[in-house]
Amino acid sequence: MLRPVEMSRVVIAGSKDVISPVVEKLHELRLLHIVNYNGNQPEFELGKPIGKAKEYSEDLIKLRSATRYLDIKNKAPDKTYPESQVLSEMDNLLNNVGAEVTATFERITAIEAEVKSKQDQIKALTPLSVLPLPLEAYYGYDSLATFVGTAATPVDADVARVSPVNEIFTGTAKNATLVAIFVPLDKAGEVSAVLSEHGFSETSVPKLEGNVDSAIATLEGGIKSLEGEKAPLQKKLADMKKQYEDLMLATDEYLSMQTRKTEAPLRFAETANAFVIDGYVPSDQFARLKSELESAAGGRLEVQLIADKEADDLVEKGEDIPTKMDNPSLARPYELVTRLFAIPEYKEFDPSLLIFVFFPIMFGMILGDVGYGVMTFLVLIMLKKKFRTEGWQQLINIVMIGSVWSIIFGVFYGEIFGPLGLWGRIMGQLPEHELELAKEAGLYFGEGVYGSLGRLGPLGIFPMDRLASNAVLLLIGTSIFIGVIHCSVGSILGIMTELNYGEKKHAYFERLPVMLFQVFFAIALLGLVMGQMIMVYLGALVIVVSIVMMVMGPEGAMGLAHVPSYVSNLISYLRILAIGLASVGLAYAANQLAFYVIMPMLSGGAKDSSEFTIPAIIVGILVLLVVHFINFLLGILSPFMHPLRLHYVEMFTKFYSAHGGGVEYSPFGHVRRFLKA
Amino acid sequence: MAIVADAGVLYGLLAVGAGLATGLAGIGAGVGEQGIGAAVVGVVAEEPGFLGKGLFLMLLPETLIIFGLAVSLILMFAWTPFSGIVTP
Repeated sequence: MLRPVEMSRVVIAGSKDVISPVVEKLHELRLLHIVNYNGNQPEFELGKPIGKAKEYSEDLIKLRSATRYLDIKNKAPDKTYPESQVLSEMDNLLNNVGAEVTATFERITAIEAEVKSKQDQIKALTPLSVLPLPLEAYYGYDSLATFVGTAATPVDADVARVSPVNEIFTGTAKNATLVAIFVPLDKAGEVSAVLSEHGFSETSVPKLEGNVDSAIATLEGGIKSLEGEKAPLQKKLADMKKQYEDLMLATDEYLSMQTRKTEAPLRFAETANAFVIDGYVPSDQFARLKSELESAAGGRLEVQLIADKEADDLVEKGEDIPTKMDNPSLARPYELVTRLFAIPEYKEFDPSLLIFVFFPIMFGMILGDVGYGVMTFLVLIMLKKKFRTEGWQQLINIVMIGSVWSIIFGVFYGEIFGPLGLWGRIMGQLPEHELELAKEAGLYFGEGVYGSLGRLGPLGIFPMDRLASNAVLLLIGTSIFIGVIHCSVGSILGIMTELNYGEKKHAYFERLPVMLFQVFFAIALLGLVMGQMIMVYLGALVIVVSIVMMVMGPEGAMGLAHVPSYVSNLISYLRILAIGLASVGLAYAANQLAFYVIMPMLSGGAKDSSEFTIPAIIVGILVLLVVHFINFLLGILSPFMHPLRLHYVEMFTKFYSAHGGGVEYSPFGHVRRFLKA
Repeated sequence: MAIVADAGVLYGLLAVGAGLATGLAGIGAGVGEQGIGAAVVGVVAEEPGFLGKGLFLMLLPETLIIFGLAVSLILMFAWTPFSGIVTP
């Protein structure tokens, strides 16, 4: 549960004759996490690929280019194929379909390029329509230089000065003056210099013939017919994608599988006649691996367990034992949270189960609203059908469990879309005089009731209006209390991790004092609030002891620098209260605005809900929808991010980061998705 | 010189103080986060595996605003330094 699955180090050695069936079997079993041979032992060389490795990878490249042209991305399978069908259709798929896809795609690309060049020509031609010249007049001279472009100021006089022989045409377009200047070739340099003083910028004239307008019309016609050709081609690609998508993904899967199998020996060590595979296997699966492999190889193979001491030596030399997290299925989505931070090392703890316990409770405490909880749940059920990749599913499950808790806490807080809203109408409220009594006695915790059960809990604190000052104080205490437990659990794991690594000094003088400090700091605080001075003295005493322990620890007096952060760790848990308050505040404001401001105002100052006019009610409901929707979006985001931070910063740092990330167990083999087993 | 204090004014000042505590702490946290956020986005673009650690670093300054909020809550709910003056 809290520990990764126990692993055993194995060595598999066998005759090269049986390498194919062994690889096939290993791939099918999906048990062995192979340790790659690094080739640094002179007796062994690196293995060579077996079978048709080259063909498979070539086919894979062909297929991938077709899938890229069709814009096929990996997705959840709609349909699965037996291997035999993939094999029989592969030739057609790779050669005929692939060639057609490529040809179609290339034609579309060519059309797009041609359209682009025609569009550029139109862009260049459009301004020329203000000049009275046919297009063939702009080019093809032996003794004349041509300048066509826009000029900022009139150029005639200056051009005439340097080149008395000239022909100048001027036209005014929308926001520029267009000029076409023809001068003898030997004057070109001087004219160009003169033009640059007038802010001349040259336009390139396409080599076309006839009238400018008719040339543009011809080009536009060309574009139209090209677009007409492109549309059916695009439809063809889309149809092909629809038809072959799953088959292509299945073929991709088949080829990747084959490639991996044929290239597996690259990770093995080899001699002239034998091969050796190093790897890790979950200890309880060793017997199965051994018997299956031996029967596959017909006895020409030896599977051996390496003794603990020898295995420890290998780890010492830098080999990583793979970590396979082991959690009950309900807690498994929370492995995503762990993984996002770091894979635990083999000797460390896997905190996923603890995240499963604490994260949804924190989420629920923050969101804490029956209405929002139910809505989140429904939205997630819809999303779950839509986003079917594993990562999304895990994320959705995480929030879904949180939303169940937020419904539970919503019942404690008496909130359905915020206080003041539906709860009072559905479940009822305390009568006015009882409210007054509670307020006078300083015991006001809210006005809702649980139907005929009335208010429940000691002093009648439930359902608790989170905005009442008594409730805020109570929640401050609860948040810190959760913080102390959360941090302590982290510290305990920290102590045990250090002991696993055999670092007693770190365990007892670095991790333990932190826990003592935090727990007794909280006890001292509680004593102050309750006026029990004995608790304050006890707390202070242990705090001093823990500080002394820290100084004696591996960091010495420098350890004291962390003390403020241990206090701030605990205060940080106030965010559970704070973010919840923000969300309640917004919901409260929305309800207040709609029911007590907008609806009465638009009904001409009506005092009672029965006097509200229909337009007023419609506007009020619109306001409710908008504000609650915003709050709902924030209400999913913040309760997710902040508990995440509480885990990463406040809890994980107590035990996690000391030894660095682990390697995830990834057994040789393949989980079939598009292929039938 | 006698201190003339109106209970309403004092309570108002208390509320202003509480607001400043949270608000200024929020600005501080924001200033702290902007640099980290930009850097994290940069790193994650290069190496997506850094997302978890990046998030961790990015959320570090958030504690500041919680401190501000803690002060505000104490001011508003738990601390009555002017109780002697405020009570009529």
